[in-house]
Amino acid sequence: MLRREGGALSPTPLATYAKIGNAQLLVCVDRLAASLGLTAGLPLADAKARRPNLIAVEADPVEEGKLLERIADWLQRFTPLAALDGADGIMLDIAGVAHLFNGEASLIQEIETRLAGQGLTARAGIADFPRAAWALARFAKQRIAPADATGKIFAQLYHALPLAALGLNKDVVADMARAGLRQIGDVALRPRAPIAARFGEDVIARLDALSGLERAAISPRFAAPDFSAERRFASAIQERAAIEATLFKLAENLAFLLQRQAKGARRLEFALFRVDGAVRRIVVGASRPLNEPEAMRRLFRERFEAPETDEFDPGYGFDVLRLSCLLAEPLAPAQGDLARASQEEKAQTLADLLDRLSARLGARRVTRIDCVDTHIPEFAVAAIPATLGDARRPIPARRRAPSAMVPLSRSAGKEEGASILPRAAVEGGGGGPRRFASPARPLRLFERPEPIEAIAEIPDGPPLRFKWRRAMHEVAAIEGPERIAAEWWRRPDGPTRDYFRAEDTEGRRFWLYREGLYGREAGRPRWYMHGLFG
Amino acid sequence: MIRLAPRFAELATMTNFSFLRGASHPEELVAKAAALKLHGIGVADRNSLAGVVRAHVFARENKKEMGATRVAPGARLVFSDGAPDILVYPEDRAGYGRLCRLLTKGNLRAKKGECLLTIDDLLDHAEGLRIAVLPQADPARCGSDDEFFFLSRLREVFPDRLWLAAAMTYGPHMRGALAERIMTARQANIPLLATNDVIMHAPERRRLADVVACIREGVKIEEAGRLLAANAERHLKSPDEMARLFREAPQALEETIYFFDGLRFSLDELSPSYPEELREGYPDPQAALEAFAWEGARKRYPQGVPEKVVKALDEELALIAKCKFAPYFLTVHDIIRFARSLQKKILAQGRGSAANSSVCFCLGITEVDPARHELLFTRFISAERKEPPDIDVDFEHERREEVIRYIYKRFGRDRTGLAASVITYRARSAIREVAKVFGLSEDVVNALTGTTWGYGEGGGVSETDARRGGLDPRDPTLALAIDIAGELVGFPRHLSQHTGGFVIARDRLDEVVPILNAAMEERTTIEWDKDDLDALRILKVDVLALGMLTALRKGLDMIEKHYDRRLALSTIPSEEACVYAMIQRADTIGVFQIESRAQMSMLPRLRPKEFYDLVIEVAIVRPGPIQGDMVHPYLRRRQNIDEVVYPSKELEEVLHRTLGIPLFQEQAMKIAIVAGGFTPEEADLLRRAMATFRRAGTIQNFETKMIEGMVERGYEREFAERCFKQIEGFGEYGFPESHAASFALLVYASAWMKCRYPDVFCAALINSQPMGFYAPAQIVRDAREHGVEVREVDVNLSDWDCTLERLDESPSPRFAGRGEAAPAIHPRHAEMAEHILTTHAVRLGFRQIVGLREEDMKIVVGKRGAGYDSVRDLWLRTALSAATIEKLAEADAFRSLGLDRRAALWAARGLDRVGDQDNLPLFMASRPQREHEPDAKLPPMPLGAHVVEDYRCLSLSLKGHPVAFMRGRLDQRGVLRCEQLAKTASGARVSVAGLVLVRQRPGTASGVVFLTVEDETGIANIIVWPKVFEKLRAIVIGARFVAVTGKVQSESGVIHVVADRMEDLTPMLGLLSERGPEVNRPARADESRTSRPDPRGRPGNRACRPPALTPPAAMASEQRDLLEVLPLGRRFH
Repeated sequence: MLRREGGALSPTPLATYAKIGNAQLLVCVDRLAASLGLTAGLPLADAKARRPNLIAVEADPVEEGKLLERIADWLQRFTPLAALDGADGIMLDIAGVAHLFNGEASLIQEIETRLAGQGLTARAGIADFPRAAWALARFAKQRIAPADATGKIFAQLYHALPLAALGLNKDVVADMARAGLRQIGDVALRPRAPIAARFGEDVIARLDALSGLERAAISPRFAAPDFSAERRFASAIQERAAIEATLFKLAENLAFLLQRQAKGARRLEFALFRVDGAVRRIVVGASRPLNEPEAMRRLFRERFEAPETDEFDPGYGFDVLRLSCLLAEPLAPAQGDLARASQEEKAQTLADLLDRLSARLGARRVTRIDCVDTHIPEFAVAAIPATLGDARRPIPARRRAPSAMVPLSRSAGKEEGASILPRAAVEGGGGGPRRFASPARPLRLFERPEPIEAIAEIPDGPPLRFKWRRAMHEVAAIEGPERIAAEWWRRPDGPTRDYFRAEDTEGRRFWLYREGLYGREAGRPRWYMHGLFG
Repeated sequence: MIRLAPRFAELATMTNFSFLRGASHPEELVAKAAALKLHGIGVADRNSLAGVVRAHVFARENKKEMGATRVAPGARLVFSDGAPDILVYPEDRAGYGRLCRLLTKGNLRAKKGECLLTIDDLLDHAEGLRIAVLPQADPARCGSDDEFFFLSRLREVFPDRLWLAAAMTYGPHMRGALAERIMTARQANIPLLATNDVIMHAPERRRLADVVACIREGVKIEEAGRLLAANAERHLKSPDEMARLFREAPQALEETIYFFDGLRFSLDELSPSYPEELREGYPDPQAALEAFAWEGARKRYPQGVPEKVVKALDEELALIAKCKFAPYFLTVHDIIRFARSLQKKILAQGRGSAANSSVCFCLGITEVDPARHELLFTRFISAERKEPPDIDVDFEHERREEVIRYIYKRFGRDRTGLAASVITYRARSAIREVAKVFGLSEDVVNALTGTTWGYGEGGGVSETDARRGGLDPRDPTLALAIDIAGELVGFPRHLSQHTGGFVIARDRLDEVVPILNAAMEERTTIEWDKDDLDALRILKVDVLALGMLTALRKGLDMIEKHYDRRLALSTIPSEEACVYAMIQRADTIGVFQIESRAQMSMLPRLRPKEFYDLVIEVAIVRPGPIQGDMVHPYLRRRQNIDEVVYPSKELEEVLHRTLGIPLFQEQAMKIAIVAGGFTPEEADLLRRAMATFRRAGTIQNFETKMIEGMVERGYEREFAERCFKQIEGFGEYGFPESHAASFALLVYASAWMKCRYPDVFCAALINSQPMGFYAPAQIVRDAREHGVEVREVDVNLSDWDCTLERLDESPSPRFAGRGEAAPAIHPRHAEMAEHILTTHAVRLGFRQIVGLREEDMKIVVGKRGAGYDSVRDLWLRTALSAATIEKLAEADAFRSLGLDRRAALWAARGLDRVGDQDNLPLFMASRPQREHEPDAKLPPMPLGAHVVEDYRCLSLSLKGHPVAFMRGRLDQRGVLRCEQLAKTASGARVSVAGLVLVRQRPGTASGVVFLTVEDETGIANIIVWPKVFEKLRAIVIGARFVAVTGKVQSESGVIHVVADRMEDLTPMLGLLSERGPEVNRPARADESRTSRPDPRGRPGNRACRPPALTPPAAMASEQRDLLEVLPLGRRFH
């Protein structure tokens, strides 16, 4: 498993879990959890029942894979040939490399120590063949196989290892155990045919892979470049100037190598290995083969200048810098016109502009207006980062039915029976939709509702007249109240509002509300003007 | 001017039976309507009548509080063709029938849980219905020409019975919409009806209404936006308030009164209606019943019907005639007769209040002979109350399906339906759903629910749970979620089908109640559950499944076949002293009902001597007597420590059979009547109120009334309070004497079989798995301790089921057993030796091998002939897959061929695979085995490994007990053998160790955990007090092999160890495998047993709930390894 131990002193056990079938099972546990008897495969509910203080996090295979990739990239500091190996391992081809690190033992030491410094527990093994190294790293005490291990030495190294060290399917291992075959030696020393017939040819093939009879190749994440130059620093460097200076030096070295073969670089990669394990890779392309150090530096400088670049975040500093030529071509005699390259950047779309503006000014500063699905009027519209716009879910169409304004009848009790039918409605006549329609929301919504003085019937009657901005308005027609309560999960005691669309005697239409309900909510209701129609 | 106070009836009310829409219980709505003094309240759920009974019953049972407010049943039809919602209320019984048929039609054409209706369906069922058209969901269509046409069409079909509903719920165009509604009504000449389109009884439910809307739509509350209501106005409002809202149309309020008063139908009119066709040539059902009963009596008593029985029959038949219940008894009789008429009879046994009558005994419905057992059932049928008789019939659990099919065939699908079972939100499900709505991470949910070990009855998740899960309960969102989840607990979630409650109607059932599609093909359920049916006095027959009946049937068959004794439940020798002696020693593993640990620890104290003692034993270990604190007083009196006294003379009659202590439900009710001054009707109300006390708040009235009533009559307050507590306990897990008597009969029958023929008993139990409390490993172990030889599964000797083999000869001499003598009877059971009649050994069947199919093994048996002589021979002759043969080999089933597990497996794996030349028919059977294959010289398999593999493949081992292999190490630690506990003085501090078989935390034991551990010598019962449990939690829950240190508690043969220290020895089990200690992964061993329903049926022993944890799905096999194969310990709550 690859997971940062949250510090060995972490007081609470930690585990990851995943949904397997219908059950949530632990997949990995930290040391503390393991010491408390929790193991992978335990149902989460069980684990929680046993250790209520267990912190369980859902496993994230994608992130774990990314972490493994990052580690593999970082390991390229030791050899360019690094490959992912399953979900929990990395295979390095260190042929011809070990001597640079004072031999295999100290190479293992260095890898493990440095990874430990990053909070990762790693085990490494070295052997002539990948499967053998795989087995040693995972199952053996002695983790470095002497070169050309055969015969007695081979037996000593591998025969006592469990069969799982062959990397067999778990069911096969269990089946073989039932037959009494538990260690590699149990298989190696028995006739092969009956075993192959019962447990598959694969068992034999895996066995042979230990001694190299069966070749298993590794496929490195990145092909080793033909040309590369690197520089290691005893103490990590952080300043951009120093990095650029180093880059130029490396470019000189690389150019020298290229020139020797009459080649030029079409694609270059500048890899910066950070002490904490992060690896930054900057890849630039050239439209013609290059072998001038200055040209190489210029290409990279443009990348460094880009405003959104944070590739130089040095953290605790870089300790290995490597410049590689990923693609080389025979050097063309004629030089192209550099200026032409910028021609391609013509077609600018609005999106590009937005992206650039957002990048320069900050995403929060470049906004557009969007609808928000809520009853609360002032929140129904929001300015959101322009770059976010399209990803939001569509807002369902609002019920937008036109409806009539009802003339205010001051004394509802006076008129009785059918005669009370609202005039507007009656005048509307016919079967068709009404004539006097008004939208539910005002054209102009005040950013801040303005307090007004109003006189209204209790408990929820409409305002009869109100004073807004020092002017008195007589209400002639009214629709409402439309009652909008506070969003209780945000404001448990928020007051309820009763909105009215009011038309005054001069035909002006207002949107105003009373805040607070008589009798049901605390405090005296207050009146506000919230918007204007037309 | 005289102003009359406004009157109003609310007709648009959705309860929470409009699942995830309504936010109040029907009872809450009705109570609120009464409090607001509404003229009436109409309950109209979405395309459903599921909630109307509860509303009706609440009103019926709270007449005083209801005042003048009435309740009317109806429905809100929601159409799939775009028509507006319509409220529908029946005017009379015929109209109600039509409404039911209409809903049934919609239900049956949709998939489960939905109802598809079109407006034409309504027009087809128009007669006798009053309807009110609600406003269109889409306001643009309101007032359009379309609507006008639509309304005039409706008016043609519903002249004078059509209203136009309007609601004033403070929407964006409220007054305008009303004006428009008024206009439409005038133009279409339809009266306007005021409603408030209610979804909750009070505005405080707004939060819950919003949350259930989110659950329904699967959105988070933050994102729900305008899916939620803008305000809290859709609650019940007072007439004054409604009058104010509808001041422009006061007539609309008066119309609600007019509408409502035209509804004359009451649910009480749904009288029992039972099939009439069963009279079989007799003039009427009563005559038929009498004829059948007397005929049965003559058969039951060939020497002449005893005087007492004649008298009882006369009385009972007269009562049945008076109440007209004959068709009901005939129906049950018909079903039982079917079960008996089959060539392979199905064992059946009735129980319930009416079941233990003489009539039922003579009809063959029950086997409890009232003449022989002196059972006096005062509460048979109460004529005054017209209480329906109640008969549940248990059938063999493997064959109930046949009975159900017969019922559908006999009475037809339009007359038959299963009662519903209302699935409600429980603490766990409520918090889970609510937390999702609040966007709390799954982790938080797990933290909240994961620590609740056991069932959260009521209450919801508490703050304590939150704290224990490492959460801060003061976090506002969390607090809100916990709060709302608490409100949601008890809300109905959906309708499911009851296990076996059949409702059979005389004519059409779909005119009594709407019928729904059930989850199972060919099944239909109705919309009401058993309480609803009970309340409306609609009769139902419970057709239940009981595992023990299957086992008894199989056992009786075996006794007949191998011991040449033909027995039936009724002819098993009764009252044998040796059987009671065995029961008194709590030697009851596998015996019906009294095998649980709680029951077993009661037996030595109760010391049953006769049948009635078993009746008491069955009923006493129940929540009712325990909560009422009646158990210990009873035991003390029984052991002659306390004197038998009666609280009063009048109660002596009620209580004399139970030494003055009320133990049965009937007694508790009788006390309420005799001592508390309740009328019989009130007592019944009380019992029902208990069962539903979460929903209504009237229980306090009963409590006061009963306790004060008793105190007034001179009883001690403390006794009165205990009696009331007991009734509370009965509420949910009522256990009446009549049930207990029927169960006791099965207790005796199974105990008799275990005592006399332990071989038969063992085989029958295993052949009826899954059932009961114990796994086959314990059943086998117990049989062996009783001197039964149990033989291994073998390809040449086994059948699918376990079989019996005579001890002196083997059925197939060629493969004679290895001459092992029957094991000696364990000294514990020595006194039984002379009573055991066993002369056979049990041969384990293939069914014991995990993962084999019955069809395949039938082939093995069918082609066996004179026997297989090699693995290859078996393979060629049966043509079974290599995987199947490997399974047989893994189970060590080739011993008769001289092959042990490893050798057989090697051979099985070496079988030529498909495409080999052996597949040519010419070479079949003639070819020798793989020749010239070099000998692999496999290491021999150690015994410990064999035991492990046995557990893995057979879930038991006859070769040894895993703990035996560790005895040396345990001795070093000074750990005792379990059997030594019996000789240890009470109070001594000891250590024992064993595999954990059972963990239990019963709800009645306030947090005490009971463990049962097993070693090679026996079992030990461990008690873990709550304080110690918190300390040892991880071990108690997780360990599979433990050492326990603590004090021995020994009282009248019941031995416990009260744990103070515990050690997880699970890693030690690694020694068993050859592979060393890489073994530490727990898993379940009893996967197949986890999801089974409680086979004991309705009055279910609460302790027998299946374990709550789900088994891990697919673990890598290496991890599965050793630990998985050993029992994880079953968990009961």
